[in-house]
Amino acid sequence: MILFENVGFRYGRGPEVLQGLNLEIPAGSFQFLTGASGAGKSSLLKMLYLDEKPTSGRISLFGRDVTTLTRDEIAWFRRRIGVVFQDFRLLDHLTAAENVALPLTVAGARESAYRDNVAEMLQWVGLGDKMSVRPPELSGGEKQRVAIARAVVASPDIILADEPTGSVDPEMAERIMSLFMEMNRLGKTILFASHDLAMIERFKMPIMSLHDGTISATAGARA
Amino acid sequence: MSAGGRKSGLIPFEAASGFLMLLIVAAMSFLACFALAGSLGTTRVANSWTDGLAGAATVRISAGEEDRARRVSLALDILRETPGVLDARPLSEADVAQLLTPWFGSTPQIGELPTPSIITVKLDPDMEPDPEIVQARLDGASSGAVYDDHGRWRNRAASAARAVGGLSLWALGFAVLAIAAVVYLVVSIAMAAHKNTISALRLAGAEDRFVAGVYQKRFFWLGLLGGLLGAVLALVAFLGMDALSSVTSALPGIEPPAYWPFVMGAVVLSAGLVALLSARVAVLTTLRRRA
Repeated sequence: MILFENVGFRYGRGPEVLQGLNLEIPAGSFQFLTGASGAGKSSLLKMLYLDEKPTSGRISLFGRDVTTLTRDEIAWFRRRIGVVFQDFRLLDHLTAAENVALPLTVAGARESAYRDNVAEMLQWVGLGDKMSVRPPELSGGEKQRVAIARAVVASPDIILADEPTGSVDPEMAERIMSLFMEMNRLGKTILFASHDLAMIERFKMPIMSLHDGTISATAGARA
Repeated sequence: MSAGGRKSGLIPFEAASGFLMLLIVAAMSFLACFALAGSLGTTRVANSWTDGLAGAATVRISAGEEDRARRVSLALDILRETPGVLDARPLSEADVAQLLTPWFGSTPQIGELPTPSIITVKLDPDMEPDPEIVQARLDGASSGAVYDDHGRWRNRAASAARAVGGLSLWALGFAVLAIAAVVYLVVSIAMAAHKNTISALRLAGAEDRFVAGVYQKRFFWLGLLGGLLGAVLALVAFLGMDALSSVTSALPGIEPPAYWPFVMGAVVLSAGLVALLSARVAVLTTLRRRA
């Protein structure tokens, strides 16, 4: 499903952020990605959601080398990948429902075809009553749940989460984590980046640690 | 879920820049209408002049020549035997005096002026004789007559019409270029202002043509609206122009042709299409540059 072969990455002519990275994440698995700030977690995820290309090595998604994709192919691949960011990246001029519907709208689906699906997603994240509310009127936890609903509404095969619990209180973090667990039970491949080791250890899922641009350790088998 | 359902609502757009663009497109459309009116009007007038002169020629025998009656008769014989000449007849002194009336007024003494003898010649438009050959034949008979098929005048009128038409095309070209440039600029600014929104769309799986489609649609309608505004203002200016009646009376044939509404419609549609294409190019080049 996700395969990194000797991947290296740097921004412009700067130092290498990632180097000689080899990893394989099977379909349907849940993988935590941890490491100190600046260890390269976000850079790794950026390459996975095709926002950056590796400066060396090869990345394969769904059996296809993604380093040579055209812009249209990148768009097609992104529809199979849901992303949740720490800073939510919601569009403030759209309602919660419109934000959730975004991946379906850009894929050309008709509103009548996905209206119920979007409502169901917002119900699932506990925001069924906030469909017409715009992000500036939502709390941090609510925004993150809207972002999660947006990430899964098009039923992607892979869900990437970049510190999704970083901006919410511990209680909300638990709630958000349980949503990811539920998605994994439904067969989604989850790669969850976080530096909150205490929270990660509670969930007893495989952990991959990044240190100075390389994977320093893997631990925590499925319980 | 209206904005999400409508593609155009996905990326916000500042009304102020839209209004500014609308004004510029309207101004360009206004100028384009005038340029086209100038071009079409000049061509029509030139055509009516040259058509009126086609198939006709004049032979002149100077007032100073002696024995003019014999010379006129000689020239008439030569002309009537020339292939391509359908008819040739001399103008009476009264006709010649009438021709001079615009310059001398209708004074009774006009008949005392030394006026030339003039023969009007009707030509077969499909087989006009070579003016040089006709002149050579007239010279050969020592008629002292000068043959004029108005070719020089016709050529001047045609080249003047071509020159005005060319200038109008340049003006049209500049109007199109100005619309394309302003749309490109406004789209680039709008995209820079909403960089994060566009990035979110791209991350959600939007292809470049999807983003281009959002802008294309919006700018097509803005271009169309601006074009319509300019065309309506041009029409009002045409109709309300005091000088128009004096122009049309001095230059019969310059009146707007029956198909003029279609020309104005084409200007409006072109404004929309130019805006659409320019928006598309702006979006695609900006997205590729950012990649």
